Amino acid sequence: MKNMLEFNNVTYLYQTKDSEIFALDKINFEIKEKDFVSIVGPSGCGKTTILSLSAGLLQPSSGNIYLDNAPLDIKNKKVGYMFQRDYLFEWRSIWKNITLGIEIQKPNEKEKKFEFAENLLKKYDLYSFRNKKPNQLSGGMRQRVALIRTLVMEPKLLLLDEPFSALDFQTRLKVCDDVYDIIKKEEKTAILVTHDISEAISMSDSIIVLTSRPAKVKDIVEIEIKEKTPLKKREDNSFSGYFEKIWRELTNENKE
Amino acid sequence: MKIKNNFFEKSSVYNHKNNKNFSKTHEKYVKKLKIDKIFVLFSQIFILILFLGLWELLTQLNVLDSFFVSSPSRIIKQLQIMIKSETLWTHTFVTFYETVIGFCLATGIGWIVAVILWWNEKVRKILEPYIIILNALPKIALGPIIILWVGSGTNAIIMMCILICVVITTMSLLSSFLSVDEGKILLLKSMNANKFQIFFKLILPNSIPDLMSVLKINVGMSWVGTIMGEYLSSKAGLGYLIVYGGQIFKIDLVMTSTFILCLLAGSMYFIISLFEKRYKK
Repeated sequence: MKNMLEFNNVTYLYQTKDSEIFALDKINFEIKEKDFVSIVGPSGCGKTTILSLSAGLLQPSSGNIYLDNAPLDIKNKKVGYMFQRDYLFEWRSIWKNITLGIEIQKPNEKEKKFEFAENLLKKYDLYSFRNKKPNQLSGGMRQRVALIRTLVMEPKLLLLDEPFSALDFQTRLKVCDDVYDIIKKEEKTAILVTHDISEAISMSDSIIVLTSRPAKVKDIVEIEIKEKTPLKKREDNSFSGYFEKIWRELTNENKE
Repeated sequence: MKIKNNFFEKSSVYNHKNNKNFSKTHEKYVKKLKIDKIFVLFSQIFILILFLGLWELLTQLNVLDSFFVSSPSRIIKQLQIMIKSETLWTHTFVTFYETVIGFCLATGIGWIVAVILWWNEKVRKILEPYIIILNALPKIALGPIIILWVGSGTNAIIMMCILICVVITTMSLLSSFLSVDEGKILLLKSMNANKFQIFFKLILPNSIPDLMSVLKINVGMSWVGTIMGEYLSSKAGLGYLIVYGGQIFKIDLVMTSTFILCLLAGSMYFIISLFEKRYKK
């Protein structure tokens, strides 16, 4: 399968008044089409920076990023970003929220996009809520609306920045399953940034482990669990083995 | 596989209208709310009647000198005289007109300046100290300058009204614009939105509740500005009547004008509140 995203010796420095923060140090990785990849690492190591770079919101200090085998350009609108919080606009209805991207990007086939948005809502059981305001929905539903808002623009690559961290544990497992299911059904390539190792193992095809700042790629762990859903993957025998491996890599790092 | 989401639907809002079978406790609770509401309203009316009644009684009994404090009955008499001579309408209209024009211009100008300052960070940083000084300055000190520059009368009064409202409008709206969650801006940027779209899709609608409270503050402030302007230089208006009444020791005139002022300012505030409620729906 072809590469969807490629980081080639990407370095990033944050400039502040007093200092320069060396966030990423020659990051190299490739993500294949339709893969689900997680990024884990010590907190503050620059995981979100990788997403911001992939979204084109930041430009690398050096190195190259290729999206769909072409240099990354935000104007191509191939990337969808889902944030830690849902960031739904309270004054807009659910329908108006998920079609926000269409309003902003003004694509040529507007009608087609609206139709697509409507189908997504129907498919994922949110259609009856389309005229409701976000504050009438539960946290889990809001997060699914946020995902659909991202999917409406039909991005080739989905960036998920700890999208479940604001939810309570029970809802989190459920929404995790839902989101995984939606992403697989829509056949999207996805990158998930998370603190939660078990979440990463249960959702990903492979996991990129980063070192602390300046972040380097320490290891890329391929996850080979046959089960289909994140919840079932958590029950698989090999799960704890993966957990231990990644946990060790992260904690060894801290000792150095 | 269809996603089951019964789990989420349970938490949807419990609708009052769809369900009429409530427990006794709920009925009691609703009743208690009603009684509380009636009690508050009754107390409010009671205080007003008590105040007016005591005022009238004490002046009738000569405990208070009605020459200095006037009285409700004298205010009513004064009102009748003014209605007959038609001075009531002219003076009220002049002040009302000045206030409304001042209010609208100040809110409009303040809003535009806030937008410009939000749009351009450099301009915002450069102008910051000037705005702070303008805000701290007692605007009444500019009175003589205003009269010299725009002439005495209506223009000066409206100018004073604008000066008093405009800086606080700009500052409140700007802080409202700047308080928008960075993440929401990032979300729009990730959709490749330009600054124009960020403003109209996010910043502006997000600032509406703050705009409403600015409007409410400005109702009060614009009356202050107008009356102060009329104190400074005027040939008509309620402020003029108050100053004039004070100078010739006609407290009835002062009290009557103040009473009309209360009514006008109150109703203007009420209209803005209605407007706000309507928007919220």
